[in-house]
Amino acid sequence: MKIIVENVVKEYATVKAVNSLSFTVNRGEIFALLGPNGAGKSSLVKMLTGFTKPDSGNIQVSLDDQQFDAIPNWALGYLPEDRGLYPEKSVIDNLVYFAQLNGMTKTAAKEQANIWLEKFDLTERTNDQLKSLSKGNQQKVQLITAVIHQPQWVILDEPFSGLDPVNQEKVVVFLQELKKLGMTVLLSAHQMAMVEKIADRIMLMNKGEQVFLGTLKEIVKQVGGANQIVAKYQEPLAAETVASVLQDLEHQQINDTSLRVVGNASVNLNLLSNKLTELGQLVSLQSQQLDLHQIYIQAIEQHGGQINEAK
Amino acid sequence: MKQNNLTQIGLVTRWEFMHFFKWKQEIISKLIMILIAGIIFAWQYFKDDTFDVYQIAVANSNIQLEDTKKFKFKTVTPETQPETLINEESDYSGLLLLTTPSDKQIAAISLIAFDKQSWQAELNEEINKQYRKHAANSLNLNEDQVALLQEPVTIEQQYLDSAVKSDEETSDTIAVITLILMAVGIFTAFGQLFASVTGEKQQRVTEQLYSCISAQTWIDGKIFGQMLHALKAMITAGLSGLLFYAFMAVVVDGKALDFASIDWGFMPWLLLFSALGIYISTAFIAAIAAAIDDPNHSAKTGLMLLPLLPMILVFMTMDDASGWALSLLSYLPFTAFVAMPVKMSLIEVPWWQVVIAIASSLAFALWLRGAAARIFKMCMTMYGKEPDVTTMIVWMIKEPNYQ
Repeated sequence: MKIIVENVVKEYATVKAVNSLSFTVNRGEIFALLGPNGAGKSSLVKMLTGFTKPDSGNIQVSLDDQQFDAIPNWALGYLPEDRGLYPEKSVIDNLVYFAQLNGMTKTAAKEQANIWLEKFDLTERTNDQLKSLSKGNQQKVQLITAVIHQPQWVILDEPFSGLDPVNQEKVVVFLQELKKLGMTVLLSAHQMAMVEKIADRIMLMNKGEQVFLGTLKEIVKQVGGANQIVAKYQEPLAAETVASVLQDLEHQQINDTSLRVVGNASVNLNLLSNKLTELGQLVSLQSQQLDLHQIYIQAIEQHGGQINEAK
Repeated sequence: MKQNNLTQIGLVTRWEFMHFFKWKQEIISKLIMILIAGIIFAWQYFKDDTFDVYQIAVANSNIQLEDTKKFKFKTVTPETQPETLINEESDYSGLLLLTTPSDKQIAAISLIAFDKQSWQAELNEEINKQYRKHAANSLNLNEDQVALLQEPVTIEQQYLDSAVKSDEETSDTIAVITLILMAVGIFTAFGQLFASVTGEKQQRVTEQLYSCISAQTWIDGKIFGQMLHALKAMITAGLSGLLFYAFMAVVVDGKALDFASIDWGFMPWLLLFSALGIYISTAFIAAIAAAIDDPNHSAKTGLMLLPLLPMILVFMTMDDASGWALSLLSYLPFTAFVAMPVKMSLIEVPWWQVVIAIASSLAFALWLRGAAARIFKMCMTMYGKEPDVTTMIVWMIKEPNYQ
């Protein structure tokens, strides 16, 4: 059971939303799709769910010895980017309705709904109208809607958006639980810290193209064992001096007396050390591995920045 | 988990129907109908002949008015003051003041009553009858001659066209009622579907639904749900009309309850054509509603009233029931559902014409099912923009390139 995407292209009137994209999603993994706004993530998701079709290239979904050109409805759990349920109906009515549409019996749907509502601390709101819930709680109900029928494939478009940090952590636990239940999860998100915790593999997209793909370790390797050096000085540094000394190195001035330099395999450490000493009296020098957020920013900048808008 | 497509349609139909079905409202309205029906039957059962006897004072009459079951006449002096004679506590319901100039036979009569009531029209008729009889007697006419004069002329209409139903069988009223009931059904579907489709679009429920059902299943369920509502509205309107008729006949006019004039054999045909018509209209309305992005500013809202056009055309042509215009409309796929039942209520229609009308409507309904679903699928994911009418027509004819 896997998804194989081969040279998929999706073009709209003025924008190439997805450009020759190829990757594979394996059974039982949590696959994270990263990328700035307009990178082509939603266009890709819409093709995987079968809402749209690629202009060229292939999508092969193998399920129970059968081949499909998109994930079939009966195997899919989906949290769309454009969210919405029936606000006038109760929480339980919404959940049971979608579960029944996905093949569950009413009794089984109610049973599952109660289990998931309890996990998200929503048991007391079971019979309340959906519109009476906070935005975050409505989002949790929609997350439950996506998985209540225990689909084989779960696609979650921005599952963390609109949630406070406590609930974001709950979603992390929720995703880990889905994995334990044997579901394959493909999610797109901007919350790097959350993705870093749960994703088995990550694919970064920009301008419709793949920037990197692999496990976090593989990605760090791909970007040259990326790390950062934080240098603290006794005296304030002049921005012009820093710029002229570190001109060929990627750097960022944190405050008057500190700066951060991104290091990778191509950076000569002796040369870097000399340049940093040249700037002034050093108080401390620390080397840290870049986190996903920093790798993301660096990779997008190296890929020519992000496009402002895509259809 | 796989779900059977028919089960999914059933689930959407139930959801759609129950979305607009309010138990409290339904129970109250049905209780009111039962109450009215109860009043009608109780009125008929307990009605006492002596209950509505009116005592009428007569002043200055040149003839002796005869008492009837309903009216008792009592002569009073011409000087009697109406205010002292007729009041809320008095036994008199009215005072007849007759002034008959000596050189004329025609009387000028005034009726003074406390307020306006339905018996006054009946009294008018009774006085007229008695004065005509008095006039006949004064002309020395015998009873047969009097009867002859009072007998109204009746014209029995006969037609050379054998298809035209006889007066006992035909009913223009049923034809008009058929048109009204169809309009009731279409207006119900129009209002509710408009609210339902544009509401779901604004609530962004589309993608969540598309992840578990197809656009065809969704629109099928919505159409069936709204069809049930439209048929319920038609049946409720029909029953309300029947109750109103019964109430007027029994309580107001004091006649016996009589449904003999209703052609019950026509009802299954009416139901069949109504179901086809409502399906066609609802599918069309659903497709147009999906194309509306902003209900307050869209120019497409007017298009949703197009299903009323067949009703208008049939109303314009029904005067000549066996004419070419109504015949043509009774075969056309988008007008047959209303033209044929109207024609059937007016003239005898050969069975094969009915079959053609059913087949034509059914084929159109099946084609429209797919065409409406194609528009629906495209439009329900279009936010902030609307397709133009030409594009929608193209989508109706051929499968669009789903982007």
